[in-house]
Amino acid sequence: MKKRLHQLAALVFAGVILATGMPGAVQATTLPYTTYNYDYREDIVYTPAAYIPLASVAGSSFTYEGETIGDFASPQDLCKSPDGDIYVADTGNNRIVVLDSAMKTVKKIITSFDNNGTADNFNSPYGVAVSESNQLYIADSQNHRIVVLNEDNSLVKIVENPTSEVLEEGYVFTPLKVSVDYADRIYCIAQKMFEGIMVFETNGEFTGFFGTINVEITLWEKFWRKIASKEERSNSQLFIPTEFTGIDIDPDGFVYASNIDSSGIQGVRRLNPKGEDVIKKGVNENVGGDLQIDGTTDYAGPSQFTDVVYRHDGIYSCLDRKRGRIFTYDHEGNLLYIFGGLGTQKGTFTMPVAIEEVNNTIVVLDAATGELCSFEVTEYGRLINEAVALRYDGDEALAVALWQRVLELDENNELANTGIGKAYLTSGDYIEAMKYLEIGMARTYYSTAFKRYRNEVLTENASVFLTGVVVVVAAVVVTKKVRKKKKGGDIDE
Amino acid sequence: MSKAFSKEKLQYMLYTISHPMDGFYWIRHAEKGSVPLAIVLVVIFSICFTANRLMASFIVNDLDPRSVDSLYELMGVLLFYLLICVGNWAVTCLMEGEGRLKDIAIAVGYSTFPISVVLFIGTILSQAVANDEAAFYTMLLGVGIAYGLIMMLIGIMQVHNYTLGKTLITVFLTFIAMLIIIFVVLLVTNMLSMVVVFFKSIYTEIIFWS
Repeated sequence: MKKRLHQLAALVFAGVILATGMPGAVQATTLPYTTYNYDYREDIVYTPAAYIPLASVAGSSFTYEGETIGDFASPQDLCKSPDGDIYVADTGNNRIVVLDSAMKTVKKIITSFDNNGTADNFNSPYGVAVSESNQLYIADSQNHRIVVLNEDNSLVKIVENPTSEVLEEGYVFTPLKVSVDYADRIYCIAQKMFEGIMVFETNGEFTGFFGTINVEITLWEKFWRKIASKEERSNSQLFIPTEFTGIDIDPDGFVYASNIDSSGIQGVRRLNPKGEDVIKKGVNENVGGDLQIDGTTDYAGPSQFTDVVYRHDGIYSCLDRKRGRIFTYDHEGNLLYIFGGLGTQKGTFTMPVAIEEVNNTIVVLDAATGELCSFEVTEYGRLINEAVALRYDGDEALAVALWQRVLELDENNELANTGIGKAYLTSGDYIEAMKYLEIGMARTYYSTAFKRYRNEVLTENASVFLTGVVVVVAAVVVTKKVRKKKKGGDIDE
Repeated sequence: MSKAFSKEKLQYMLYTISHPMDGFYWIRHAEKGSVPLAIVLVVIFSICFTANRLMASFIVNDLDPRSVDSLYELMGVLLFYLLICVGNWAVTCLMEGEGRLKDIAIAVGYSTFPISVVLFIGTILSQAVANDEAAFYTMLLGVGIAYGLIMMLIGIMQVHNYTLGKTLITVFLTFIAMLIIIFVVLLVTNMLSMVVVFFKSIYTEIIFWS
């Protein structure tokens, strides 16, 4: 009878739970994309969102001097001025639109400028950049020139018709993306220019190419080309280096340039002033976006980085146009977080082309919808950003508190575990260090912690060990002697 | 059964490991070996192999523990053992080898013992090595595995009464034979499944026949 009662009670209890909904059930996410990361084993790990959609702004929502400015037509680039203003290259409307940093009001619209007395217009301005001295650089693509304007729209200079021995006869200069460093040198990505980034001196003179991507031909391809006939060789596809797609310059003058890598290994380069790639690729030897890219659908395949933005403290974000995702790396090439996606909801894109960071929000320009999508940082993203920044400055001990809070949100985060483990290692708590470093898969540091722990144990217990050895040796000797004596006695008898 | 695991057989197994030339010769000619013992040694090898993959310390072990399945590996090792024995037997039958399937099974099975031992010792030793001492661990495993392979070679050589050159040729041919066996088995299973599907569909057609 008692058993029956118990069963009844259990049944009622179960019914109550079902009726009220599962306690502690996970709330469905309202994000239009999944946020994940890749672990040491290159498996997908789902993480909290680092950035969530904030707003999606169309051109028609702005008014300027009492009139609506209309939608952006196939805008191709945006950039941020030192004051925080946002410059949008409204390519299809042949104008540059300047927004304030909150993306609420239009500050000005540049449609023409005074070219030595005559009014001059743009023709498909494809890229924009603002220098540290607030000069505006416009890649005026179909006019085949780069226009440099002062803040008051007065002309500084026009860069066109670069001449050099290394350029072919009749080369038509069509600038697409442009960037400018602290010394007002211009770095320009031009159409059909596979040699690299074009560099212009402050006076507008073309000085050469920068960061050329070398073609890599495998031994296997070489072998096939060797045995192929002439016709076959001419029919096969040419080995052309990939073009750069986007460009950004950090305060130290290092150039971050994105490119499309068909193998998905390196979608972004960090070029030093000599033009050499000095990027670090992290534990997975990859700065090319998604790691799991197998499949035969259109949606599969390596990520295609179309723009890159250097943010702060060695952190940079790359925009993938293949799947509309934003990949953020730190200065060591560790993948920090991934967010974004393709789609038509707020926070997703149709054809993302440019990315910028303004006031801790990330702004992405969508060329197909002509909208600016902004993302705001979450607690999770902020903690990672700050911890990585502290580590970049060498304050690993200060970062520990932040990493602890990251672990509360994402307990298997490898960077956080490694960060905490390293702090324990320096403070001398080797057992704790080993625990965290193993989850963080930091084998070298783990080994150091283990070695120190082992030596500690050995020195502490040295007397016990040595006494043990002496006792064992003595025991062996004694038993041997006793046996011998016994045996000898046996023979005697 | 008790005879297969007698003290004498066990001692002779250890003697074979230290004197493979002599040991394997008398296994063929004086029935000193034991097939059940050899199979048990292969099972022990499988256990040591899996244990090493699962339990060797983090410093020397880069494997994802989730990818290790002990039962699956036991099955794989036993199948591979069967495949080597049958493949070698098939080849040596045609090449005037004197060994019987029984002798080959003993030769291969006994040769796994040194590998099992180093895997076992290595797993324990790995708990005490740091990064810069990992070379000792690797060397230990390397020496053990090399010894096991050399023993296997000597075993095959002795039970068939071959020269070294001929042994190497048969070993090479054994690999080819193994590939052919795998190919044929896959082919047969594939075709059998097709036949099964054929009869199944006939059955389905009949029961829905109106």
